[in-house]
Amino acid sequence: MKQLKQLKQLKHAGIPAILMALIMLLTAISGCSKANDGAATTIKSKTAVTVTDMTGRKIILDGPAARVVALTPSDCEILYAIGAGGTIVGRGEYCDYPAEVMNVPSVQSGANTNIEQIIALKPQILLMSTMAQTDEQVAALEKAGIKVVVSDAQDVAGVYTAIELIGTLMGRQQEAAALTESMKNTFKTLSAKVKGDGTKTVYFEVSPLQYELWTAGSGTFMNEIAGMLKLSNIFGDVSAWGKITEEQVIERDPDYIVTIAMYFGEGPKPEEEILSRTGWKNITAVKNGDILNLQNNELSRPGPRLADGANMLYEFVYGETGN
Amino acid sequence: MLTVENLTVRYGDLTIVDRVSFTVEAGEWLMIVGPNGAGKTTVIHAIAQSAPYTGSVRFAERDIRHCRPRELARNIGVLAQNHYMGYAFTVEEVVRLGRYAYTPRFLWGSADTESDKIQLALKKTGMEPFLKHSVLTLSGGELQRTFLAQLFAQDPRLLLLDEPTNHLDLIYQKQTFEPIREWLKETGRAVISVVHDLSLARAYGTHALLMDRGQITAMGKTAEVMSPKNLNKVYDMDVYGWMRDIYSRWESEQDHQTGKI
Amino acid sequence: MKIRPESFRFHEYVLFATVTLVTLILCICIGSVNIPVKETIRVIWRAISGLSMAESKAVPILLSVRLPRVLCVGLVGASLSLCGGAMQGLLKNPLADGSTLGVSSGAALGAVVAIAFGLTIPAFPFAGTMTMAMLFAFVSLTVILALAYRLDASLATHTIILIGITYSMFVSSIMTLVITFAGEKVKHITFWMMGSLQGSSYANALVLLSALLLFGGVILRHSRELNAFAIGEDNARAIGVNVKRVRLIVLICVSALIGVCVSIGGTIGFIGLVTPHMVRMIVGPNHRRLLPATMMGGATFLMLADLVARVLLNPLELPIGVVTSFIGSIMFISIFYSSRKVK
Repeated sequence: MKQLKQLKQLKHAGIPAILMALIMLLTAISGCSKANDGAATTIKSKTAVTVTDMTGRKIILDGPAARVVALTPSDCEILYAIGAGGTIVGRGEYCDYPAEVMNVPSVQSGANTNIEQIIALKPQILLMSTMAQTDEQVAALEKAGIKVVVSDAQDVAGVYTAIELIGTLMGRQQEAAALTESMKNTFKTLSAKVKGDGTKTVYFEVSPLQYELWTAGSGTFMNEIAGMLKLSNIFGDVSAWGKITEEQVIERDPDYIVTIAMYFGEGPKPEEEILSRTGWKNITAVKNGDILNLQNNELSRPGPRLADGANMLYEFVYGETGN
Repeated sequence: MLTVENLTVRYGDLTIVDRVSFTVEAGEWLMIVGPNGAGKTTVIHAIAQSAPYTGSVRFAERDIRHCRPRELARNIGVLAQNHYMGYAFTVEEVVRLGRYAYTPRFLWGSADTESDKIQLALKKTGMEPFLKHSVLTLSGGELQRTFLAQLFAQDPRLLLLDEPTNHLDLIYQKQTFEPIREWLKETGRAVISVVHDLSLARAYGTHALLMDRGQITAMGKTAEVMSPKNLNKVYDMDVYGWMRDIYSRWESEQDHQTGKI
Repeated sequence: MKIRPESFRFHEYVLFATVTLVTLILCICIGSVNIPVKETIRVIWRAISGLSMAESKAVPILLSVRLPRVLCVGLVGASLSLCGGAMQGLLKNPLADGSTLGVSSGAALGAVVAIAFGLTIPAFPFAGTMTMAMLFAFVSLTVILALAYRLDASLATHTIILIGITYSMFVSSIMTLVITFAGEKVKHITFWMMGSLQGSSYANALVLLSALLLFGGVILRHSRELNAFAIGEDNARAIGVNVKRVRLIVLICVSALIGVCVSIGGTIGFIGLVTPHMVRMIVGPNHRRLLPATMMGGATFLMLADLVARVLLNPLELPIGVVTSFIGSIMFISIFYSSRKVK
């Protein structure tokens, strides 16, 4: 008897609670539908923008973005290449191309990304590469009304996707399509012109001997473009970037060396420094002086200038202008 | 042999040792006695040049401030109260270091004549069986005798002892003091020691120096200095009465026991 | 029992030297690129006897890359271990080492400052960084010891290690500041901080050898004094050691050696902690045996660590500091625990 009574009481207590929950749920749904209505209306006004970024997150904007903070150099380059350079209100500290971007206020990027700096610039969207930020930081940015858009190109096709994504965000789909088209054409022309049979080898030097040898292996843009030009990367067995032994470079004897080391205006230039290394004298590339120094990240950034880099590499290897 | 004049040691505003003057001649064993905080140990440190002082300390009429460290070590040796050992040196290695002041700076390997001196020092202190033992395995008394052997190997003319048998068992007190008494028998040697134990001071000292609050209260022959009047004044108690009381208990007990047998 | 001289006897020297030599040969024979032993011997023999050689890849790999590197690694290992051994004796503290006391970090800061502000000595390209590294190492050591003395005059406790670690953090913050202000060029230095012996040349080996002969020689000459310090500074003073002068000389030599090693090979952690500890377990704490054995043991240890770094992930190369720190930090904890147990 007693137990039954308790059960009844529980039921009585339960009903209002369920009701409350129902009411809350309903209000929540109605709130959501209201937001959806808003989005729908902006779509009707033909300015609303909906994109899915490269991590699969859906981003909805009221219209093309007018204020952008871009943390990665490649995104900056894409923005300028599609004529949206003027919308950049903040850049990551390593963004240095084209030269105009240096006039834009810089913010810390990478591991030290400063959320406050970004919020202070009042952008509509924040463009960045892989999620360097924690979910909490992203939430803080979204709370401040800033949409986070991630572009994360791992290969040339990824660069096209990034260009399309950014083009859509900025309402410049046509310019983006034209850019992609021109890149595709460049690569197509080069691949068609290449006479090589894939036996020539190339060594990409990312960091010089002085600071330990680092190279670009498979899964990098350098490797992909080398493949287009029918060059085989001597460190194709290394995945991504890696510190490699000096002995292996001599052993694998590349026909060409591409170094992306920076030159700071003093001491020997990167290509001269490679020529002067003891023990490297018998490497084919060193013997023939076939060393290319790409100073400006043409091949290391997932941006539109990959086409320029490919052209430069083609010209260097085959001794004639590519496009 | 040693002349101390107006020796004063100050740490900040605190005067630890106040204008102390005395002399020690060859053949003497000077016992510095007095209650805690009298400045006894500080006097030893000052003479050993390990505490800053004003006044003068002369050894064989030379101010020892101007002595080179090696020369000083050949004349004055110090035995510390405690030894904290970190590494597993052998007894032999510790004793061998006593010869440091005699070996030339640029000599690789040590001469055989040195070995005899080391052997002798070990023998005198009874540490011969411990030759290859690690100092980390020794008892407190054995460790103290190891350093005494080092001191004998160092062969100075004046020994400074800083309460060497404090916190040691009775047997070690004997094993430390007897070799020193033997050592003192050779000509041209003297000992200054700080002791807490008045009966030890009385038993081994030829001379005594009674200190109280940094100043000398009395000095001279042991028996004169350690008179009931002096001691009672410095220690603020009836020292002789207390001593007599303790020993009488020992004796009565012994009488009792022998009587029973 | 008979009293024997405390230094090494001839056959003991031969034994240690043989181990070091065998390791050296092993490290020359094994590498990222597989060269047959027969070919290796032929190339080295022809190089020594000055005969002309056929153009093959083995020649530059062995003579221009592997041999100078192995020599440099061995010399750095010997120098850093000797410094560790000397400091552990001087401070009577088995945890003392260039890396635990922050001396290596100090030296690295000196090198970074030299690079950042372009301090060079004409005609001697690497003398600028080297001098600054030596100077900063000495200043660091002086600062750390002065601070430690104020807290605990015996220096035997772990206080000094705490100060050393704190100092390392302080130095690394200054270093970050310098790198930030110096701009683009110096950002590359971060790679080099972990210790790089890639690209070592015979010139580097010669500089290291000269430093080791000069400063290491002076340290070895003070073996007896270091024994006295290792027993206790008061005891050292009592037996006639000129405590102040010996301490200064040893500290200068240690700083200079660490400075040279850091400016050539970067900061390689823990080697100066590991080797003397292991060697002490074999030959005992007497510095007349410990120091020569430590030099050879350190060379052997670092050459082997480098071998692991070179071949483990072939064709990739591990930073050598990763290998030494891995072994070293485990050793550090074990020394720390055993030294606590004694008390």
